[in-house]
Amino acid sequence: MASVKHTTEKALQMLRSLPRVCLANIKDNPKAKKPSKRGRGQHGGDWHGNGQKRWTVLRLGYECSNSPFYLRFKYEPYYQGHHLKRQYPPVTLKMLQLLIETNRIDTSRPIDVASLCSTGLINLCPDQKHFGFQLTDEGADCFKSKVNIEVQHASELVIAAIEKNGGVIRTAYYDQHSLHALKDPKKFFEKGVPIPRRMIPPQDAIEYYTNPKNRGYLADPEAVSKERLVLAQKYGYELPKIESDPSYEMLNETKDPRQIFYGLDPGLVISLRDKCFIKAKE
Amino acid sequence: MLKNIINSFIKIPSTRLFVTAPTASIVTQSSSLSNALERYKSPLVTEPREVWLENLETEETQRLGLMALHPEVFADTPRIDIVQRNVHWQRLYKFVSFAHTKTRAEKRGGGRKPWPQKGTGRARHGSIRSPIFKNGGRCHGPRSPTVHFYMLPFWTRLRGLTSTLSIKLAQDDLHFVNDLEIPTDDSQFIKNLVEKRNWGPSVLIVDDNDIMPQNISIATDSINYVNLMPVYGLNVYSMLKHDTVVFTKAAAERIQEKILFHLNRIDANRLEKKFKLNQ
Repeated sequence: MASVKHTTEKALQMLRSLPRVCLANIKDNPKAKKPSKRGRGQHGGDWHGNGQKRWTVLRLGYECSNSPFYLRFKYEPYYQGHHLKRQYPPVTLKMLQLLIETNRIDTSRPIDVASLCSTGLINLCPDQKHFGFQLTDEGADCFKSKVNIEVQHASELVIAAIEKNGGVIRTAYYDQHSLHALKDPKKFFEKGVPIPRRMIPPQDAIEYYTNPKNRGYLADPEAVSKERLVLAQKYGYELPKIESDPSYEMLNETKDPRQIFYGLDPGLVISLRDKCFIKAKE
Repeated sequence: MLKNIINSFIKIPSTRLFVTAPTASIVTQSSSLSNALERYKSPLVTEPREVWLENLETEETQRLGLMALHPEVFADTPRIDIVQRNVHWQRLYKFVSFAHTKTRAEKRGGGRKPWPQKGTGRARHGSIRSPIFKNGGRCHGPRSPTVHFYMLPFWTRLRGLTSTLSIKLAQDDLHFVNDLEIPTDDSQFIKNLVEKRNWGPSVLIVDDNDIMPQNISIATDSINYVNLMPVYGLNVYSMLKHDTVVFTKAAAERIQEKILFHLNRIDANRLEKKFKLNQ
């Protein structure tokens, strides 16, 4: 072990036998800096890549008389409609466990997109068709936390890993406007606009979110309880009883399908300065 | 003095070789430091660096205890190129070039066509101040004042500090003292101290406060190669300009805390966003 050293250690060890580093003997890496070229002399700066004199820089991709390379070939529709599909950036169970162990996520409260984003280590871009997070199964074996988590997509193994530890998982749909609010709640509240209603899922997502096997938020709760048992038998673990858990209330906490923030109804305006919320008259 | 000058060229085998494993009686580690080390602990980083805490009260060194330093700050990869970029930036950002040349328009005369276009047998010219003429104007010449201010990226500045601190520590040019209290305001005391301890000759003394103790302020005032600096003014150029850098314990803790905060902050991306170009 002693013979294996980090490169940094080697470099620092080497410095001990080298002359003192001072203002006179330091230099940048070779070729690190590209010298700016300026055309000098009679024809300095005449050409911009197309023969005769042009006094402006040509636009990107323009090839003078040729048809530009990026327009030269027909569009092949391999990925037709790909840019319109919903994206779910992955969050692994391993990462979730690390975030919990480093106190970046509080497990005594339900976990949702807001708590994942507030760690500052995971980024969500709703404007780039990100529709929330998918929880992936990397680190399923070492996941040890009891959590009430709400994600947008989860595989069967992930659901099993969460429920084995006595936790609750739920998949829920958020539209882009809701995610924008949920991504940075402080920024949204400072806008002073009423909290919008969460939209119902689009047609092709309804099936996923009403399926109790996916722990969809629109599924029948009794069917979900049954599926929990079925999954426990399939993976061969004993399902911990949530009803007798001391943190039953937290584990049982859910959002309304139309609700974006825990405990805040749509239509409220939040004033962070006065620490109150403003409700519309009936 | 001569000895010191020779020392600045020849590296004497270091005193740090005598550092042995800490014994329980002399280990004094402040709680805030150990808290900081605990808080920013990473499995990827190497062992904390242990250095002697010295005194300044006597000319001879007295070792007061061991001090643990975070390896991400004091044993970082010594990136000489980043250090150089920091030095280059520090030299350049305050530099204004006053080099100036006159264009053909600013040169005296030259409004008249020197000779007719045709019929003389000579080359055609329109002005005696054209750039191809002797004593003509200069094209694309330097114009005064040219400001060379630019901002080095924040992370390059940060890595510059950690690299320089690591280089200084690795080359035994970094020393740590408990405080800056010295018994006299005689500058000879400091000169003797520097010579006896094999420091310098040029020494930069860094404290966490900009109000230094009276004795050391008076004693170092007349010595040009011994300088005092508060920790908020710590920079790569000054550390490299001085052969030896001396930190007080409080200053070392302060700079370590600050650098670790910036290395580990999670809102950096958001804060940098508005300064990003071409994104």
